[in-house]
Amino acid sequence: MKSSNLHVRAVSVEDLAPGNGGLRSLLPGGTDTTLPAPESGEQWLLVERLGADGGRPLACLRLRAGIGLQAPRHWYHVGCVVHAAKPLQLFHRQSTLLLGSDHAGASELADLCWARAGLSLAEQAAALRLLLRAALLQLAQQRHAHGVSLIIELPGPRDDEGRSPFWQGLGRHFYAGEMVGHTAGLAARHGPDWRALVAVLLPRQPVYASFLPAATQAAIGQVDASAQLLPELLGSEGLAYDHHVGIIDGGPVFAACIDRLPALLQARRLSLAEGGDAATSEPWLLALPGQQTLLLRGRREGQVLRLAQALPADLRLAGDALVWALPLELSADPR
Amino acid sequence: MSDRHPLCRYLLRPALPADLAALERLAHASAIGISSLPSNRAALQDKLERSAHAFESEDDATGEEIYLFVLEDLARDGTIIGTSGIEASPGFHDRFYSYRNEFIVQVSPELGTRNRIHTLHLCHDLTGVSLLTGFHIDPAYADGLAPQLLSRARLLFIAQFAERFSDRIASENPGPADDNGGCPFWDAVGRRFFDMDYPSAEALTSGRNKAYIAELMPQSPIYVPLLDEPAQWALGQLHAVGELPFAILLDEGFEADTYINIYDGGPTVEGRLQTLKSVRRARRRPSQAGTLQPGARWQLVSNGRRRDFRAVLLPADAAPTLTLDEASAAALGLHIGEPVLAAALDWAAPAGAEEAA
Repeated sequence: MKSSNLHVRAVSVEDLAPGNGGLRSLLPGGTDTTLPAPESGEQWLLVERLGADGGRPLACLRLRAGIGLQAPRHWYHVGCVVHAAKPLQLFHRQSTLLLGSDHAGASELADLCWARAGLSLAEQAAALRLLLRAALLQLAQQRHAHGVSLIIELPGPRDDEGRSPFWQGLGRHFYAGEMVGHTAGLAARHGPDWRALVAVLLPRQPVYASFLPAATQAAIGQVDASAQLLPELLGSEGLAYDHHVGIIDGGPVFAACIDRLPALLQARRLSLAEGGDAATSEPWLLALPGQQTLLLRGRREGQVLRLAQALPADLRLAGDALVWALPLELSADPR
Repeated sequence: MSDRHPLCRYLLRPALPADLAALERLAHASAIGISSLPSNRAALQDKLERSAHAFESEDDATGEEIYLFVLEDLARDGTIIGTSGIEASPGFHDRFYSYRNEFIVQVSPELGTRNRIHTLHLCHDLTGVSLLTGFHIDPAYADGLAPQLLSRARLLFIAQFAERFSDRIASENPGPADDNGGCPFWDAVGRRFFDMDYPSAEALTSGRNKAYIAELMPQSPIYVPLLDEPAQWALGQLHAVGELPFAILLDEGFEADTYINIYDGGPTVEGRLQTLKSVRRARRRPSQAGTLQPGARWQLVSNGRRRDFRAVLLPADAAPTLTLDEASAAALGLHIGEPVLAAALDWAAPAGAEEAA
């Protein structure tokens, strides 16, 4: 799949219209389908593949700032304690889970989902990379609206019937309600903050992992097989497991300091010019006014990005206007 | 069996170094009680010497004293049939660990859920509390009055010498375990931090303060719903050998719902000395010569002495003066006329019949 076939943009109300099954078919049951309010700073981005019959949604995510400040958010911190008795020559290292809101105030890549049907892993990865880079470009453009860190919660292991061994061994003992499958019922009844309601019932004191069944212990910080693409992709963007896991399925939280993200170091404000050479150009993401993101080929020359193709007529900018730009490839030289 | 003491048959007294062989026999026999009696001869001898020193010492108590008692069957020429003890201040040099039962209620009105969660908190609440220990009795005597004397007379001793003890008294009781070392509570909790069964852990810590074990245990509360079912069922439950001493302590007024043993999950009972039945009922009464009174209520009677402490059961009415015959006065080591400390039990002596062992 050529990147030139891919297009990234904000989700619109038309994407969610009844009968337009494209995006809705991508979203798991219970996913929040509310369009972000303009004043919220939140962005809901979509990557689609352009074809003769229109665009096919391939992946989407939300970029949120300041999570857990209006409605509480919770994660377990996976810690370690050492119990030692030197006279007995006993030394035990124990993992613990401590419920908390350590990431309150962080920015989040949330509700990440993508199409698998008919797509190779490489095609899925290309769509996800574009989506992630577009989100990080928006983050660079709106840096003032975000805090210190960026997180993303990955899905933990589930069986074919949607049961999570992490939940079965821990959370189930504190909340016996519906939690199998994709928890669509809870989300439908209680809204996108339903996990905060469950967290109220979960253990507030450290839980020694060794008290949990073996399958539960094994699930801590593991990624569901359906999302095995993500750790490497996120790792290449500078996000890494930070010893927190989700409270429902124990999936890992990947996190990074925003200012140390490679994409933030690569992103630049450049002026645009035309007349670039297609043969020596590279794909660049441009953040244009109105939360529009364009994927175009170009070559950087100092503070100018010389485009190998013309900007759409309705997006022409004043000659000295600066736009945020980010090379699509991590290996691209940002200088 | 002799009938020289038909109504004053059992005598409780301080254990002496000469009782070593008899205590060894009890430690090795399948006696009913709490297995804190060391089967190691040297350890037993050390315990006897420490106990003898505690009974004899005129000095102010330091808190580290242990007091060991033996129970004689006077009808069998003073054969030792049981033993029990007191630790003045367990955890004296360190800490005494227990799990305290607590309940956390978590509510989510939106989800329509209210959970009452049982938790176990590792605590030192009972550090310094005096501990009733090492109740052992020959099973042949388990159904008679002998266990009552063996257990309750310790309370009279504590009441008499209260300055040597805490005003809170506790006693650990054994939790469920099988003959192969399997112990549901230990297997679910301690074993996860030790990788060995309870007998092996006990052997490892033999001769050491058990606080070593406690320091390896989880310091934060344990959520009971996370334990396996056998462990949850075992919480606060008794091993069969603990049923008799436990029942006596409950009858005394000890409370059994708050603390459990951190190793086997058995109940640790606790109570204020002055609220315990035998202490509440204890009265200092002068003695007078006479014949014992079949059909009267059994009285727990002690001579009130420390080094030569003696306690017996004998029937007597509620008159201000307690009647002793020559045999019971001799058993108590008293001259007729000297005062005694007496507390009524709930049972009357058979009218004219010997109390069956």
